[in-house]
Amino acid sequence: MIIDINFIGLIIASIMASAVPLILASCGELITERSGVLNLGVEGMMIIGAISGFALMTVTGSLIIAIFGAMLAGVLISTIFAFLTQTLITNHVATGLALTIFGIGISAMIGKNFVGIPGKEFPVIFEGLKDTIPLLGPILFGHSIVFYFAFALPFITSYFLKKTKIGLIVRAVGDSPESASNQGINVRLVRYACILYGGAMSGLAGAYLSMIYTPQWIENMTGGRGWIALALVVFSTWNPIKILIGAMIFGGLTIIQFHMQAIGVRIPVQFLTALPYIVTIIVLVVISRDSRKIRLSTPSSLGKSFHKDN
Amino acid sequence: MNTNLKISNVTKIYPGCVANDNVSLEFNSGKIYALLGENGAGKSTLVKILSGVIIPDEGKIYLNENNLKLNSPLDAKKNDIGMVFQHFNLFETLSVFENLIIDSDEQRESLREKIDTIMKKYNFSIDLNIPVLNLSAGQKQKVEIIRCLIRSPKVLIMDEPTSVLTEQETSELFLSLKKFSEEGILIIYITHKLKEVMQLCDEVAVMRRGKLVSVSEIKNENVESLANKMVGQNLKTIKKKKAKTSSDQLIKITNLNFTSEDPFETNLIDINFSVNRGECLGIAGISGNGQSELFRVLSGEIISEKNSIEFNNNYIGDLNPQERREYLMAFSPEDRLEQAAIPQMKIFENVALNNFKSSNFFNNGLINENKIKEHSKKIISDFNVNTDNIELKSQFLSGGNLQKLIIGRELITSPDLLICFNPTWGLDVGAINYIHETLIKINEQNKSIILISTDTDELLKLSDKISVIHKGKLSKIMNAEEVTSEKLGILMGGAD
Repeated sequence: MIIDINFIGLIIASIMASAVPLILASCGELITERSGVLNLGVEGMMIIGAISGFALMTVTGSLIIAIFGAMLAGVLISTIFAFLTQTLITNHVATGLALTIFGIGISAMIGKNFVGIPGKEFPVIFEGLKDTIPLLGPILFGHSIVFYFAFALPFITSYFLKKTKIGLIVRAVGDSPESASNQGINVRLVRYACILYGGAMSGLAGAYLSMIYTPQWIENMTGGRGWIALALVVFSTWNPIKILIGAMIFGGLTIIQFHMQAIGVRIPVQFLTALPYIVTIIVLVVISRDSRKIRLSTPSSLGKSFHKDN
Repeated sequence: MNTNLKISNVTKIYPGCVANDNVSLEFNSGKIYALLGENGAGKSTLVKILSGVIIPDEGKIYLNENNLKLNSPLDAKKNDIGMVFQHFNLFETLSVFENLIIDSDEQRESLREKIDTIMKKYNFSIDLNIPVLNLSAGQKQKVEIIRCLIRSPKVLIMDEPTSVLTEQETSELFLSLKKFSEEGILIIYITHKLKEVMQLCDEVAVMRRGKLVSVSEIKNENVESLANKMVGQNLKTIKKKKAKTSSDQLIKITNLNFTSEDPFETNLIDINFSVNRGECLGIAGISGNGQSELFRVLSGEIISEKNSIEFNNNYIGDLNPQERREYLMAFSPEDRLEQAAIPQMKIFENVALNNFKSSNFFNNGLINENKIKEHSKKIISDFNVNTDNIELKSQFLSGGNLQKLIIGRELITSPDLLICFNPTWGLDVGAINYIHETLIKINEQNKSIILISTDTDELLKLSDKISVIHKGKLSKIMNAEEVTSEKLGILMGGAD
């Protein structure tokens, strides 16, 4: 009996693990979008993070350098985006799409030499506590530090936006950059910072994939997770806690449909593969129906360039 | 403590336009100063310079003999200059308190106390915890004022503050401003409304085309003298000739009802009226009493029962605006840039928008650009629109020019009925006069007008018959000669 319960715990833990990159990238993008910037380059930043993390791990052998290096790579590529959209006032959508194409291309190029190299084992914490509590043990313990960080992040993000002065300034800039600028807030600086932060989180999400989730480099290994992360931000109506729910549903259905395919359930494979996408969107739409709340949490200036004329 | 603000030889040049031409002015606390001028006279540029939003090309600002360097709004704030902009600088989705704390260095609790004290002192009552988008325009303005007062400013600049306020909110604002002035805050009040200047201010500076025209005390001025200084020519006063009473009915509204699903809209209840040919029916009321709903029902933006609107012996209640235009109705909505014209489109493109079928603007689905441009040029010259560039995006037209263009676009097809909603809202005296003359001319050509307006003077000047809308109900229709503005005021307040 206890073994069964722990098996369920293991499944839940694997669902949570698959949700980690979505949570990280979404929470990063959420901050970017709350400041009024639409960065469609999440997929590109994630894949850059994935290859940078894996490459640094292989070359330097240091996991710490690899993780922070991947975040730095995300920051660097998002700096390109920030420079283009904030300093040269290019269109957010086009620039973001270009960023994704660029990221996929350059990661494939760098990754040529790393295909087929086995990854390193990433240390987990609280391993010993796994068997102490039935069901909850495998869920709570024995994961990487990144895993714990990801599950804390939505709450930190929510607190940051609601309770801190800087969070307030980020929301204000996203609401009306003109007013913010007239209040003496440096809109460009705030937006740069939010874009770079989003880049760092996407980089970390990528590194989680290539170093912890499936420790190896495969070309295009993010497999559209960046786009899902983007969709989560919108369908959660810019609410970090709902991102957590959405990511869990998406991760859960992905894992379950794998198992269903393995067991041989007589449902067309295409439908099963599409299921997580459909259900996640439906659920998020249903839980975010309150139009007043949507109006309050949608950054009004999202995707619009701000040019301070003088 | 005395405050002295000096503007010395300020010049700001934009490509093709001198916004401020060597302007020098001096203000002292204890008085309320008016800065008067038409739209585009340069008064907004001047106050933006004072508030650090715009940096002047030349000139200096002194506050109590200190030369101020105003390179950003922050500098103005630090130097105790507070400014309430015409377009509010608020964050709609943030709560009132969040809006106030964002540029304050104080702790939450002490700020809350300070705000409470200010609100008590000036009799403001605003819930600090609701988002700003739920506030009325008057309340939003109070939030802006509180934001300035928190910093105990020496100078408070108000940029056309009454353009979005109801009459009651306006008189409340005036009371507060007088109080601030008594407490030693130097007040600079920017407006183009002459009555307000006479009512509120002690001294008035008039600007025209970027230049300072005159500075004088209010007691030496009257509305006419100020108007002439502002426009720079002797204004002819227009008077409407009494129209020959025709009994030829053009439009008849019978038992028209509209129930809205949006709780912020007003329901229309049993509207009945008729307008004869050559007549102008004025509909007065305080804004928000169903005027915009009535306009939308009449124009066909909201479709009603077929029989509720009879126009030229046709029942047209279920037709959309385009179909109604075919019956020779024309419309000039309230919001010029959002409803009447598309800001990002060029003038001639906007002209083409309302003339789908009856014109030859389109051949087999292709745009006949030459035809449209020719037509646009005719509108521009016939209706005195002050530009010769029909390729100009309409957002760059001033309010007055845009309104002339829109009225021109509607009238050039010579419709039988023009329905307009606040046609002179926010315009300067010159443009208002022109629009009024045009409307009178329409009536003289035996065409009819339904004029929905919140400006009582305008209604009394132009209408043959007047009715008042209150909470979606129309009062009985009165002959304009029998009506006084007092009588209208009482009806607008809801009394019979």
